[in-house]
Amino acid sequence: MSTTLLKLHTPPQVPLETEVISPTSLSGLSESGIEHLQVMHGNVKAKLGDFFKVTGKGGSDIHLEGDLSNVKMIGTGMSTGKITIDGDVGMHVGMGMSGGEILVHGDAGDWVGPEMSGGRIVVKGNAGHMVGSAYRGQPAGISGGEIFIYGNAKNEIGNSMRRGFIAIGGNAGDFTGVNMLAGTIIVAGEMGIRTGAGMKRGTIASLQSAPMLPTFEYSCTYHPLFLRFYLIRLQENGFRRIIQDKHLNGKYKRYSGDGIELNRGEVLLFAR
Amino acid sequence: MVEATQTKSKESKNIKIVKDATCTFCGCVCDDMELTVDLDEHRITKAKKACVLGRAWFYEHTIDDRPVVLIDGKEATLEEGIETAAQVLVDAKFPITYGLSDSTCEAQRVAVEIMDIINGSIDTTTSVCHGPSGMAFQGVGESTATLGEIKNRADLVIYWGGNPAESHPRHFTKYAVTPKGMYIPNGKKDRTVVLVDVRRTPSTPLADIFVLIKPGKDFEVLWALRALVKGKKISENIEKDTGVSREVLDDLVSRMKNAQYGVLFFGMGLTMTRGRHFNSGAILSLASDLNEFTHFVAKPVRGHGNVTGADNVVSWQTGYPFGVNFNRGFPRFNPGEFTTTDVFSRGEADAAMIIASDPASNFPKKAIEHMKKIPIISLDAKDTCTSKIAKVRFAVATYGINTGGTVYRMDDVPISLRPAFDSPFPSDQEVLEGIRNRVKELLKGDKARLAA
Repeated sequence: MSTTLLKLHTPPQVPLETEVISPTSLSGLSESGIEHLQVMHGNVKAKLGDFFKVTGKGGSDIHLEGDLSNVKMIGTGMSTGKITIDGDVGMHVGMGMSGGEILVHGDAGDWVGPEMSGGRIVVKGNAGHMVGSAYRGQPAGISGGEIFIYGNAKNEIGNSMRRGFIAIGGNAGDFTGVNMLAGTIIVAGEMGIRTGAGMKRGTIASLQSAPMLPTFEYSCTYHPLFLRFYLIRLQENGFRRIIQDKHLNGKYKRYSGDGIELNRGEVLLFAR
Repeated sequence: MVEATQTKSKESKNIKIVKDATCTFCGCVCDDMELTVDLDEHRITKAKKACVLGRAWFYEHTIDDRPVVLIDGKEATLEEGIETAAQVLVDAKFPITYGLSDSTCEAQRVAVEIMDIINGSIDTTTSVCHGPSGMAFQGVGESTATLGEIKNRADLVIYWGGNPAESHPRHFTKYAVTPKGMYIPNGKKDRTVVLVDVRRTPSTPLADIFVLIKPGKDFEVLWALRALVKGKKISENIEKDTGVSREVLDDLVSRMKNAQYGVLFFGMGLTMTRGRHFNSGAILSLASDLNEFTHFVAKPVRGHGNVTGADNVVSWQTGYPFGVNFNRGFPRFNPGEFTTTDVFSRGEADAAMIIASDPASNFPKKAIEHMKKIPIISLDAKDTCTSKIAKVRFAVATYGINTGGTVYRMDDVPISLRPAFDSPFPSDQEVLEGIRNRVKELLKGDKARLAA
């Protein structure tokens, strides 16, 4: 499989919107074809080649190098292939993707994988707010796929998610799984306040204790077998140091909620 | 009707009386002022019916002796100022306009148009006050009313996270608590006033019931109230967690359900503390939930004179209330991405037009540092920290005192302004129209520049 290398030679002065960087858009294009793809540099139309040096023709394996923290919308709507980013990446990475994989060897900005329906995003560093969430005004967030953040993530992880799997290796901000419709969120570190506010169904699990809203009711302390399989899968995907055997075999406190909504969601907090 | 009379008083002064003038200091936008204007001195000497804030607003706005335009600190003509401002905006790749809350709707409309033409971003001070409420409206809807309706009907008035006695002194007396209304014949005696806050304030003595909650626990209390209203269970630790006992909550729920007409006013104590738009969303949802039992409305108590107008104008022109980006030629709304504090803090904007607000004095340090690096165009009636660091500084007339126009009261009711005396300075609308016309000329034939 040939690799398409995009190396940042001129950092953008203002945010650069590059939804064209995806295997679907690049496939079959020559080096100069890729360099001529249109991007938005603030309010000015520009070419991808104005910022990136392209090596290799367009294929399903894309490598990006450089500090892309001001580059937004990489991998928008991708359905296949792989994007590897060596460095930090800006907002909206993997927006609405339906398949393939995005690997970020650095930090990601806000809105990682918003409204994705399939595929996988792995962020080795930290992520911003709104990981795997809905855009403002949208009724549902992600409807499938996996997002793995090795570091910390900020507020509103999985806002209104309908399906899918989000795992955070570090700590989470407030309102994890807010208005969640279904799906699974696992946070290895500490969660902020108001976890699961307004959730209808779905599972939020944490390996630490967490403050619960008054509308969540304690159900029992038990060993959820299904969680073991999720955790094993995470161990196999780079979370080995964080997830220990005691977490696989231990008991979890189960809270059901949100009482204001359907009360069919659950929050599982590691007990012992 | 504008009733203005001009007489020569005993001291042979030119005195003008303006009846039914409008105070544009706070979101109450009281339109029953009677102003006495000394036309020789260019100042308002008496403001009948004005509150302490209104009096300060009217008395302190005089005609300052300062140049209309400063470019890089040097005096210039209005035309030169407009030319430089237009150049800055046209050259920018990520320009943003911020402020607008102390400006007329007519001027706000032009500001939106400029950003639409140059494909910039438009944001208002809403994003740092009731912006979360704007996001919550979109998420959960709004059960609303005008202040007139509240005055005539509300028998249960709840203030949450605000101190109107100091921030909106006439809110109690003119709109919501003491006035007699059609179905509230005895004024305050017919109403129950509840105040929810994290500390006692000068507003507290007015309340029949004061609910003291632990700081940062608004969402939890609102969530518990929602559950109780719906007849759902809540945690037994509620008093330990929030500082509010189950008895107080039950009493409040019963009062809310049994009210004829209830209103929840909420302030920045709710919208600008941890949880922000979810706090606003919780109180709006509580009002919606209560409509299953009685009539209940929720209203944000807005701060600046025409911040509600800014929301209305930007919504009407773009479809979204604040934090709107036109980079691609069509409006996109994403608070957190296109809101001014974030855009400045991340160092993204390469030019900014600040209208009638002072972010350089109240934004986070990182944002202010970025503001100092980029060309700023400032339009303000007074010198501010922002106008001092501006590349182009326009001194403009004060809306409501020197210029007419339309403003929106906090309940989205439009009110016309009756200016008291003329100003040698242009209105912000005139300056903005000049910039707009020049921007249009500069962009003529430059189609590639426009992304749409």
